[in-house]
Amino acid sequence: MAFNPLEEQGIPLHKQLRSWSELNSTPYDTEAVHPHTRCRVIAMNGIEIEAIMNSHNAARRIADVGVRQMLADVRRVEQQQQKAVNWLIPAGESVLANTIGYEQVAVDLTAWVARNEPDPYLRQVYEFGLLEDYDHLYRYANLMDLMGERRKAEAVTGDLTEILPGRPTIFHHRHPHDDLRRPMTVQAAHFQSILNGLTVLSAEQQTMNFYMNVGNRPEDPLARALYLEIAQVEEEHVTHYESILDPSMSWMTNLAIHEYNECWNYWSCMQSEPDPRIKAVWELHLGMELEHLRLACEAMKEVEGVDPEEVFPDKGVSAPLVFEPNKQYVREVIARTVQWTGYDSEFVSVDDLPEGHRFFEHQRTVNRDGTPSEQVIDRHRTEFGSEYRFSTEGDHPVESLGISGTTEQSGYPNPSAR
Amino acid sequence: MAEGEKERGGATRLAEKARGVVGAVLGRVTANTLGAQSAKTFVKNAAIGDMYELEAAKLALANAHSPRVKDVAQQMIDDHTTLTHQLRSAMRMNETGDQTSLPTEVDERRKQMLDELRRVPDDEFDKLYLDQQVLAHKETVDLMTGYAARGDNPQLRSVAASGAPLVTRHLRHMERLREELAA
Repeated sequence: MAFNPLEEQGIPLHKQLRSWSELNSTPYDTEAVHPHTRCRVIAMNGIEIEAIMNSHNAARRIADVGVRQMLADVRRVEQQQQKAVNWLIPAGESVLANTIGYEQVAVDLTAWVARNEPDPYLRQVYEFGLLEDYDHLYRYANLMDLMGERRKAEAVTGDLTEILPGRPTIFHHRHPHDDLRRPMTVQAAHFQSILNGLTVLSAEQQTMNFYMNVGNRPEDPLARALYLEIAQVEEEHVTHYESILDPSMSWMTNLAIHEYNECWNYWSCMQSEPDPRIKAVWELHLGMELEHLRLACEAMKEVEGVDPEEVFPDKGVSAPLVFEPNKQYVREVIARTVQWTGYDSEFVSVDDLPEGHRFFEHQRTVNRDGTPSEQVIDRHRTEFGSEYRFSTEGDHPVESLGISGTTEQSGYPNPSAR
Repeated sequence: MAEGEKERGGATRLAEKARGVVGAVLGRVTANTLGAQSAKTFVKNAAIGDMYELEAAKLALANAHSPRVKDVAQQMIDDHTTLTHQLRSAMRMNETGDQTSLPTEVDERRKQMLDELRRVPDDEFDKLYLDQQVLAHKETVDLMTGYAARGDNPQLRSVAASGAPLVTRHLRHMERLREELAA
């Protein structure tokens, strides 16, 4: 199953602008929607927002008025696409339920990418982030119970994603330097690596944006605290993922790669979307992105003298990105790497950090008055008699996390002691 | 000659000898000699350069007199650890998959430099350390900028390009500090 967007015909740009009623999508039914349809909606919202912000950043740094006009033309349509996608999310889906959806995206999108990442170092980068988002899902799921939501988190995720402790959120709080990884190069990286990096970055960035903006909406102080703690981790994740992208890319090449990635993502959504109405949105938007890609390639050629053949694979891409269960894979990654932390671009076991490493000072500072992600589990245990978990595959792969999601039992080194 | 004068003279002669040896050892090696285009040679020299910097900085933290020299030594530990990690990460990527592995110890030239730091009289340490740092960083700047411009492996060019501005700032800092402390 191959797809080469450079060989497909798109919708002419002047025919892409839609009316308000066309954009004001009928939302899905939050009770009936397939969880992975929700995931695709959330993911594509992130893809569109990254396209828009990238276009704005380019416009701020490029003096060429012709290029600025092209960016503005395309960006106006990207903004319409973003509304049509994001407005599929219904008002009746609470912020917390939508948050569960966001973290399911993070888990199952990152897991697919990690499994389909050709580069061993970059695979580690994805596996590292995966376990942290997995833990965020678990913490938010416990919060959801505490906030008296009418349904449990597993009603949102279906039985497609387990809800268990990952790398405990308390240990995600690293010194900023320890989120900076080694970038790939567009010149030498496998093309799938480039698509993977941009896709996961887009999703994590929108997750960060989302928590930054909705985290202050709950009244409950613990809910507000948990959102702000996890929002800070998402800042780390955006730093982590954006640092693997090639910083030497020129503006037009970067733009063309963004458009290609949008085409791949919409095509991927089309392949597995069961809802015909929403599938039609993916198809329509793919038609638009094909034209955006053509315009970006034209600009890349005329402005930078770079041929699309120099950047893109001549046979296109072969595999769509698929939202599917990754339960065993995630368990295997937990068993293998739960104790890792970052040390500059490398990953090391927390036990192997040198004495006095900046991680410990950072942990002491941010955690000194207690940690919301620990408190939410404590509170759930107090109010319900136990933690909330959803497991379909047996005991937790890490014994201490099987016993407790709070770290006093974990055997992890107490950051305050080092 | 009185005993004390002999001793002082001996210490002075040792210091002069150390500087002379250092001067000979540190005859600046250019990027061409270091192999500005070859991935294998770049990796070897970048890794050895970092190892030397880390060891020299540890000696400086232990033995330097000036708090400013100690501060800069700590900066060298932080920054050259980062550069070491960046190179290590690059070597695990497919883009550099066919390169040789990283060296695990410094070469003879850098061994001599470190030995000189260990043997130099206390009151000569700061000057010797800064002299070594200026020359060593000039070499590293040549290595990084040369490979970033002309190297044969894109991922390692990226490593060099990310490190070159940092080591250039190190060089400027060392030159400035040496000048200020000598004044």
